[in-house]
Amino acid sequence: MSTLAEAEAPPPLAPVPTAKPPRRRGRWTPYLLLAPGLIWLLVFFAMPMVYQASTSVQTGSLEEGYRVTWHFATYWDALGEYYPQFLRSVLYAGTATFLCLLLGYPLAYLIAFRAGRWRNLILILVIAPFFTSFLIRTLAWKTILADGGPVVGVLNSLHVLDVTSWLGLTAGDRVLATPLAVVCGLTYNFLPFMILPLYTSLERIDGRLHEAAGDLYATPFTTFRKVTFPLSMPGVVSGTLLTFIPASGDYVNAELLGSTNTQMIGNVIQSQFLRILDYPTAAALSFILMAAILIMVTVYIRRSGTEDLV
Amino acid sequence: MKTTQNSSGDVRLTGIGKTYGSFTAVHPLDLTVPEGSFFALLGASGCGKTTTLRMIAGLEEPSQGTVSLGEQDVTHLPPYKRPVNTVFQSYALFPHLDIFENVAFGLRRRGLKSVKKQVDEMLDLVQLGEQARKKPHQLSGGQQQRVAVARALINHPKVLLLDEPLGALDLKLRRQMQLELKRIQTEVGITFIHVTHDQEEAMTMADTVAVMNGGRVEQLGSPADLYENPKTTFVANFLGTSNLIEAEVDSRSGEEIVLKAGDGKLVLPEARCAAPATTGGKVLVGIRPEKITLTHADDAGEIPVGRNRITGKIAATSFIGVSTQYVIDSSVCPDFEVYVQNIDRDARLVPGADVVLHWSPAHTFGLDAAQSLLAGTAGSAGVEEGAAL
Amino acid sequence: MAFLNWLKRHLVVIAGLLTLGYLLLPNVVVTVFSFNQPKGRFNYEWQEFSTAAWTDPCGVADLCGSLSLSLQLAAWATLGATVLGTLIAFALVRYRFRARGAVNSLIFLPMAMPEVVMAASLLTLFLNLGAQLGFWTILIAHIMFCLSFVVVAVKARVMSMDPRLEEAARDLYAGPVQTFLRVTLPIAAPGIAAGALLAFALSFDDFIITNFNAGSTVTFPMFVWGSAQRGTPVQINVIGTAMFLIAVLFVVAGMVVTNRRKRQKA
Repeated sequence: MSTLAEAEAPPPLAPVPTAKPPRRRGRWTPYLLLAPGLIWLLVFFAMPMVYQASTSVQTGSLEEGYRVTWHFATYWDALGEYYPQFLRSVLYAGTATFLCLLLGYPLAYLIAFRAGRWRNLILILVIAPFFTSFLIRTLAWKTILADGGPVVGVLNSLHVLDVTSWLGLTAGDRVLATPLAVVCGLTYNFLPFMILPLYTSLERIDGRLHEAAGDLYATPFTTFRKVTFPLSMPGVVSGTLLTFIPASGDYVNAELLGSTNTQMIGNVIQSQFLRILDYPTAAALSFILMAAILIMVTVYIRRSGTEDLV
Repeated sequence: MKTTQNSSGDVRLTGIGKTYGSFTAVHPLDLTVPEGSFFALLGASGCGKTTTLRMIAGLEEPSQGTVSLGEQDVTHLPPYKRPVNTVFQSYALFPHLDIFENVAFGLRRRGLKSVKKQVDEMLDLVQLGEQARKKPHQLSGGQQQRVAVARALINHPKVLLLDEPLGALDLKLRRQMQLELKRIQTEVGITFIHVTHDQEEAMTMADTVAVMNGGRVEQLGSPADLYENPKTTFVANFLGTSNLIEAEVDSRSGEEIVLKAGDGKLVLPEARCAAPATTGGKVLVGIRPEKITLTHADDAGEIPVGRNRITGKIAATSFIGVSTQYVIDSSVCPDFEVYVQNIDRDARLVPGADVVLHWSPAHTFGLDAAQSLLAGTAGSAGVEEGAAL
Repeated sequence: MAFLNWLKRHLVVIAGLLTLGYLLLPNVVVTVFSFNQPKGRFNYEWQEFSTAAWTDPCGVADLCGSLSLSLQLAAWATLGATVLGTLIAFALVRYRFRARGAVNSLIFLPMAMPEVVMAASLLTLFLNLGAQLGFWTILIAHIMFCLSFVVVAVKARVMSMDPRLEEAARDLYAGPVQTFLRVTLPIAAPGIAAGALLAFALSFDDFIITNFNAGSTVTFPMFVWGSAQRGTPVQINVIGTAMFLIAVLFVVAGMVVTNRRKRQKA
């Protein structure tokens, strides 16, 4: 060891400062780290909400300018006029979320437990479409669902369209410009947001649990119902939130694949803001949407008992 | 480090303590670890041993008291300015660096440019020369452990701290590494302070062991001293197994105390009694299971006079190979444990047999009866499963 | 019977693959139609095979300009959101501080808010402040909504990091700065990279928030939106297909490299 020590003696350590008072290291560090990002969010996320709240109770016109007059009637007028769009948003987004869960679960399960060496490839294929702009992909549905196209042809010959148009989901032998097309587009657009959280929570499940359940006389279906599905609940909860929230505010699918009869609340807010320039109504609608979402999300998270999603 | 050879390199803790809010992790304690010794802090989890170690390392600031290395007061020095290095629990090897860079880390941070020779020599010392360019996760547990030791030792610290260094290894490898660490310590002559909950590990390696319990040092001494002369029931139970019998002081004659336990009498050398023994007062009498001889009741007449004896009935036996362990049901102490070496096995010693237990009075020790009989046993709070092995 | 049994055993696989088909069908259509020669302004019906658009991807006015604008925006937004988000993630995992709950909510809320709400309220702010809508307002908006996603990605990685690694670095004579640069940052890097990648994808593909706050500036998604009204050039499909292929190529190449490295070491 002595030869080692003499090989190259490390420089002596710093001299000892005597009797230095104990200092609390890094008391301000967390605030310094948080400050830039939080200020950004406060100024460009929280403050706009306040501006919007104030706009929603203003009256006036573009020419004369707007003043805060605590005109809450805007809310009632907006609700009264646009409640069909609100209902449609909840209905379409809810259906799309349910379909995403129904379609996404088998694929997430497949990737987590059955894909073997194909796992990474399938994961890439789920994520890769993101890199083609979602607007381009949504436009592709115009081709897929085109009038007289193969998809419509098959549905027609199987008399599926008769059923759906009786339900009011389609109109005649068209799929485009109907609720079915909008829901189909919404489901497609937000499916990866369902699959990825589902996969993450399924992947964490120890495969031996399946064997243990089988060993304890559970059929594969019971195993799924009593073991796998309950354990994947965190994924189900975050997947449904990640799907429902953006779907409820979406106006792209309704605009590109729907008609004036399939307008959602997003379409109204967009046109009020950008075309009609009726800012108080637009702000009120946006505020109502925000409040509705927050209430639904809070109730949902409470009831499903997974509050630590972040 | 020639500069340090003249001054004493003892580690001195003076009145050092640590509180978190209202919880006291370490009660103010004084401890001196002589230079060049292998010192162990032994205790169950939560006893304050790791906190004490971290205060020496500088990773935890003491609430009171001072830490000195030789002449230096290092209490308020950050860890990167202390001549102390640590082998962390589960090693904390940098996963993004290879073995060579892990070992070279400390030297590089201190501004050394040419580190190759030193690192290579150090890797040879721990027999890992071949693995220099591998990443930590490619090594086995034992190899990772040696990298952790090399990474700390290469800096020639005045003190090497080891936090449960063998906790992640399996039993066989742990035995092997115990000897290996002892060899390295003898070779480099650096002070080692070793934290462990495994009493066997502490006794195998350390020159001096401090047994900690509830944020205090219960007893300090050489392994043999702690084992033979425990001063508290915690130490008696935590280090190995002890049979403890509640007894009343009957009389004192010269160097011996005569005690009454049940119907019988027991003799205890005064020097081995850690409690004040006044006539009529209570004392706990302790005896280690391997010091006891087991004789079938039919042969009771052959037992030499002058030995402490207790009668009982065999409740259970288990054959261990080297020895047979008996659990004896006796009126003075339920579950009396006796270990008998497998030299000549008496076929009559089966469960249900009446037996006489006897031992030399010199092997008896006495403890204060005001303590819990069960402190430090596997069942008592704060002792991990592995701790009482 | 044997077939039924087979079906039963592979039901999940079949259903999963059907979903995968549903996910990929639009990409197939986009790719096929990038070789179309449409009659009229819209590229929704198959006419005849042509590579014209592939040989002249920038042949449509403003298309490549909007693409390069979107790439620039995404790059800056990624940089901004990654730096700010990483700092927040470290503060959240490594330090105790007051108002932790409020901070967590402020970070969670943008993710739990429909885009159109954030878009509309941000526009209200800009209008009230009389800000000139354009590149800078888009960038501000993008950093705002990407920030939370970066925080989540980095936080997950930093949380799973053994704090003893940093203690070991400090024990081995690395000061605070050295510890951060030599140990913390390299180990957190995959999380930061994941956050950055997510931010880039979100920013590049964002339409709703951009549409509200862009003024007359046209990003690539806005160009596509506009063309859905005026007429869809085939070049849109070319760019969509190319981006898809580049992304897959990058990921596959990355996988091949890591696999080969693993095999060499084993």
